[in-house]
Parts: sequence; C-alpha cells; structure tokens
Amino acid sequence: MGADLRDLLAKHREPSTAIDVRRLHRERHAKLQAEMARQGVDVALLLHAPNVAYATGQPVRGIDVTHAIYERPVAIVVTGEDRPHLLWDDAGSGPGLDVERHPSVWPELDEGAVLLAGVLADVAGSRDRIAVDEITGAMQRAGVLSDASMLEATQVIGPAKLAKTADELGCIAEAQRRNEAAMVATQAMVRPGVRRSEVAGEFLAQLVPHGVEANLIDPIFQPMPRSIADGPRTTTGDVAFPTGVGDPVLAERDLVWVDTGVDHLGYASDFGRTWIVGRDPDPGQQRLFERWCAVMVAVLDGLGPGVSGGELCRAATAANGDRRPWLPHFYLAHGLGVESAEMPLIGTDLGPEFDDNLVLAPGMVLVLEPVIWEDGVGGYRAEEIIAVTEDGWRHLGSGHAYPPFTS
Amino acid sequence: MSSLRAARQERVFDAMDAAGLDVLVLGRRDSIAYATGHQSLWTAGTRPFGAACVLVGATGRSTHLLSTWDAGVPPEIPFDHLYGVTWNPAVMGAALRGIPGLPEARRIGVDALSPGFARAAARLAPDAELVPADDVLRDVRTVKLPVELEGIRAATAIAGLGFAAAVETLEQGSGPANALAAAHRAMASRGATVPSSAPLVRRVGSLMQLDFGVLLGGYEGGLGRTTHLGLAGGKAVPSQDDPADPSVEAQKHLLAACRPGATGRVLRAAVRPPSRWMVRGSGVGFEPPVITHTVGADAVIENGMVLSVEVEVDGWHRRDLVHIGEPL
Repeated sequence: MGADLRDLLAKHREPSTAIDVRRLHRERHAKLQAEMARQGVDVALLLHAPNVAYATGQPVRGIDVTHAIYERPVAIVVTGEDRPHLLWDDAGSGPGLDVERHPSVWPELDEGAVLLAGVLADVAGSRDRIAVDEITGAMQRAGVLSDASMLEATQVIGPAKLAKTADELGCIAEAQRRNEAAMVATQAMVRPGVRRSEVAGEFLAQLVPHGVEANLIDPIFQPMPRSIADGPRTTTGDVAFPTGVGDPVLAERDLVWVDTGVDHLGYASDFGRTWIVGRDPDPGQQRLFERWCAVMVAVLDGLGPGVSGGELCRAATAANGDRRPWLPHFYLAHGLGVESAEMPLIGTDLGPEFDDNLVLAPGMVLVLEPVIWEDGVGGYRAEEIIAVTEDGWRHLGSGHAYPPFTS
Repeated sequence: MSSLRAARQERVFDAMDAAGLDVLVLGRRDSIAYATGHQSLWTAGTRPFGAACVLVGATGRSTHLLSTWDAGVPPEIPFDHLYGVTWNPAVMGAALRGIPGLPEARRIGVDALSPGFARAAARLAPDAELVPADDVLRDVRTVKLPVELEGIRAATAIAGLGFAAAVETLEQGSGPANALAAAHRAMASRGATVPSSAPLVRRVGSLMQLDFGVLLGGYEGGLGRTTHLGLAGGKAVPSQDDPADPSVEAQKHLLAACRPGATGRVLRAAVRPPSRWMVRGSGVGFEPPVITHTVGADAVIENGMVLSVEVEVDGWHRRDLVHIGEPL
C-alpha cells in the first residue's frame, strides 16, 4: 500500500515552475477587488500579517507576535483603485511592490491610531462599509472605525483566496520543497539522547542555505505516548498534539511526530511525518503506516472538482475500518496559503453537513493529515499537500519519503 | 503556584479591579502567558483575535483557557476551566456562555478586538460594555519583578551565545549565511528555538551587522553589535574593541539619557547623529514605551523598566537591553 501511495503521488507531482511575482500580486489584487465589489464593501483595512501580505505582497516575518503588532505594516484596499495602500516605512520590504506607500502608523499606540485614522480618511474618504481584521485598543480609544459599518475581513479575503492562482500554487510547492530539503539533514541528527531543541536548531540552521527567510512555527518534534492515557489529558479524550511544551530528550524507540512550516513569498509549507528514534519500525508501527497509506490512497482516489468534503471523510473512515482517522480537534484536511491553515477545512467540528456542502473546485489546496492511532502501539501521522485541478489533483512538494518507514 | 506566576496574576487581577473590569478577554499569546503562565505553541507573527483566555474577576478571580490539553497549563487552573480548540462558532459560544461570571458581566476588557467578537460578545453578555484593556496589561507589565529580570538576563545571555557563535564563524572566513546557521544552533542548544525579533547577520559594505533577539521561558533577550571585516582576509574583528566604531559613543549618549522621568523628547535631543535609532520596552517581548524620531515624544521612562536601546551610525548597529534603576 505504501508503494501504491508513492506511485500515486509521483504520477500527480506538479513540476517546478517559475513564479511571476508581479502577476501573483496583480491577480490577487484583482480577485480581492472583485470580491469587495461583489459584496458592496468600500474599504478593507488589514492589520493581520497574512492579510497584509495577500493584499500588498509585503512579506510576513518570522518574528514574535509582540514585535509583529508594534512594528506592523497596515494595508488599506479601496474598491475600484488600481493599487493597494501600504502603511509601512520602506525598511526591508523591497522595491518590487506595486503599492501606494505611506509612512508606518503604529496602530498599537494611541498616537499611531490617530495617524491611522488620518490616512484612512485621506485615502478612503467617507466610504463607510469597511472590512477589517483587527481593531487594536488604541484604535478603539481613538474611535478609528466608530462611524463605520464593519464586517470581518475574512468575509472578503476568504472567498478571494479560496482558489489559488498558478503562481500561488508555485509558491506553496516551493515552500514545501525547501522545508522538505531542510528535513533531510535534520532527521539525520535524531538519535537517542538528543534534545528537541537541538533538532529544532538544526532545522533552523538548515533553512538558511535553502533560502528560507521566515520560519512560521516553533518546530515540532513531539515524542508521542503509546497510549492516550499516558499522554496529557485532553478535552476530547483523544491524543494531545501539537502541544509545543517542554524540551524533551528523545529516547530510543520514541515515535516522534514532526510538524513544521516555513514561508516562501508569503505562502506557507506544512511538513508532517512520524519518525522513530534510533530504530526501524516494529511490525505494529509498520502496520500503522500501511494503514495511513491506505487512507491516503482512498482519499486521493477520485479526488477532484465536484467531490465533497463529506465524501473524502467517508472514504477515509471506510479505509480505516470505519474509525475516524484524524484528530477530533483538527481535521482530515485543511487549506493552506498565506495562512498555515485556512479554508477549506474538512472533517472539523463544523459537522458532516458543512463537509457535505463543501465542494472541491480547481485551485483549492488541501493538506491531508490523517492520523492512525492504535492504543498501546501508538500513532502514525504525516501530511501531504495537494491542489485540486480541472481534471483531478496535483501533488505539491518534492516527493519526500517516509523514513524510517518503507513501502 | 510558582511565585512568578502568582505575582503576575495578582498584578493583572488587581489592575482589572482598579479599571472596573468584571471580565478580561485575551487573544494575544503574550498577554495570556503573562496573566496565566500558560505555555503554548509559538507561532510567528499575528493571529486573528479570538477569546483564548477569559479572566473573571468579579466571582472570585478565576482563569479559563482555550486549550485542548492540560500540557503547558499551570496546575492552579482546573481542568474543567479549559475549553478546547474549535472551528465552530456555536461550540465556542457555548463554551464561553458556560464560564461563570461572563454572561452577567457589566464591563468586559479586551486586549484587541475583531468585528466578529464584538458581535459575539453582545450576544454572550448583553449587558456588558466592551472596553479596550490593552493599556491595563501594558501598565502592569511595565515595571519588572526581580524574577522577571532574571528571565531577561538569561535570554540575553543566549542572544550573546548566538552572537559569539556567529562571530566565530565569520572569523573563520565564512559568510553571513553560515554565521546565521551557527547562531541558530548555538541558541537552540540552550533551549532557545524561537526568535523575538528577526535575527540579523547583514553585510553593509565592509561591516557585518549582527542582532539576535530570542524568547526564553517567555522573556525576551537581545543584543546587537557590528563587526568590521578587516581588509586582510575579510576576518571579523569584534567591534567592542574597535576604536573606529562610532556607535559606541552614540549609544553612550542615548543610554545616559534613559533616566527615570525622561521623555521621548529628551531622548531625541540626546541622539548624536545616528541614521537610525529606537528605544522601546522589553519584557515578554516588544513592549511600550516606543520612542523613535517619529513616535513617543511624550512617552516617559520609568524606574524599573527594561529598555531595548539601539542606534546605527554609518552602518554600525548596536543594541543593548538595559534595566532602568540598576545594571541588568
């Protein structure tokens, strides 16, 4: 079954293509403008970094939230305009952006919120139906949006970004290839006695020669318990992952669930694998892997436009002996783009009706992340990214294998 | 309960009382870590606002956290005060409605806001006024506790290790990429795998600017220096010993001006012509005050603050964390 999956992914692999950054920005702007016009939205005021990146091309940064909120690029998109406004001093953002530039406004500071109100009035005038993603305390105090009719920015950005352009798919595939390439040397240093932080440090070091400028998540190398009862207590009664807590020393035979994400031109990767410390898989672990592959094949078989999320959930569950093969607090699959998890979400607690109503369309991206758990043996979890196409699907990534599991 | 967690929590609840807040809803990772001690997975950059933590002051100071598991949750927070990750607004609404004291609240503070949460709050607590409380948390965090200073010192020591590893790599003749990779390995070997600011190893002419800001145990440490790549062989020379480094003198003037009671205006006057500079608070990351040539004229330096002070003169970058009141 492992060989079947490997062949299936290889057959559908998307070849590496050149990314046209100007076209990427232009097409996104057009999609966002169209969605704003369709919904009668006058202005989008964007503070959340991935939204700013989507609207303007301003790169996201691999920095702490506290830095990201103070030293914060802000985007204003006005319906009908050719270019977005970017409120950000030039430092480091490169000359290539097709934006109307304004000085940084510091929306976290009271005086900054006043500056923001001034720019907003200048560029958007009295138009009053505003899509916004975050309102800082300073913006509330300054009454920046007090007269406006507000809606969540995701209501316009969400539909705009749901189906990716060719350049967007190229960015995701490149992010994934670089992430996977950095994992080769990283996995080589996993041995009994090594700390999680040392493995993470190696991964961060490996990103540098692969040209990755922003790491998006504290790299996860989480040794998993064999039984749910031996792990952290959860509200779901299921497995706790990813906790991001502590700095465990990896021990021989540990099953380590790996999860990382890096940025390429504003787009996220998502690398998921299960490693074993210092050993080859035992027959029980190999069985988990085989079943994971079987679930993947069942989901990918026939995947394409017109297929519903509900159908994918049912195929996955049937291939796992009628047990749901994903974590109940997550999903069977999630979208990926400027956010590391975005629509479409499939298999969440939004429920079966939501999944049935979610119909795949060309350009949608899915990160499939089934989990096979057998209490007492442990679990196998890995992730693969696919894009829905006119005639089926394509695999995004390099075809990274599943060592030490073999097919 | 750890004394640090207890002390911070008491500060936050006292500040809620003083501000007349029945409930405080927090969405930001740093706010939550400060108020509760909750350790959670670090992700880069901003997150959309959501009710990830609810502090109820009115009914005996209880803490409720968005977490599917108890890993990273301080032991003083009961398991039934956790509500799990959900994608379903109805599930989230039900979880929040079940928090004693929230539906009856009259005044709810938030550390940020989204249009969606503003509408949800109006349904959840119909009698409540929703008010910004980012400034309440900010004030609480401004003056550091002695234990917090230890955390900042430890994190700064890690940044120093990153700097040393990068310089050593440069001295061996390697370029900035290898130096940055070496810094990552060195800092991670001491448990620091997440940055606060973006790591900097940048060639500017014959200079190499280096700056590392890391989070360790939730506190930020940082250090910025510039090395001169000597003409012979391109080897790096530590700038501390470099008499040609003009940032030493500029930093001395700026640091001398960072006294209790000094305003941003005073600091601006003390800047001896660097091309770029910033003075800002540091603690659980980037904090106020923020003083540059464009913002913070009226901001006031207080005794007990920790400041990140940086200057750049002719490409020579320098950044130090300092504690106002005593050496850090």
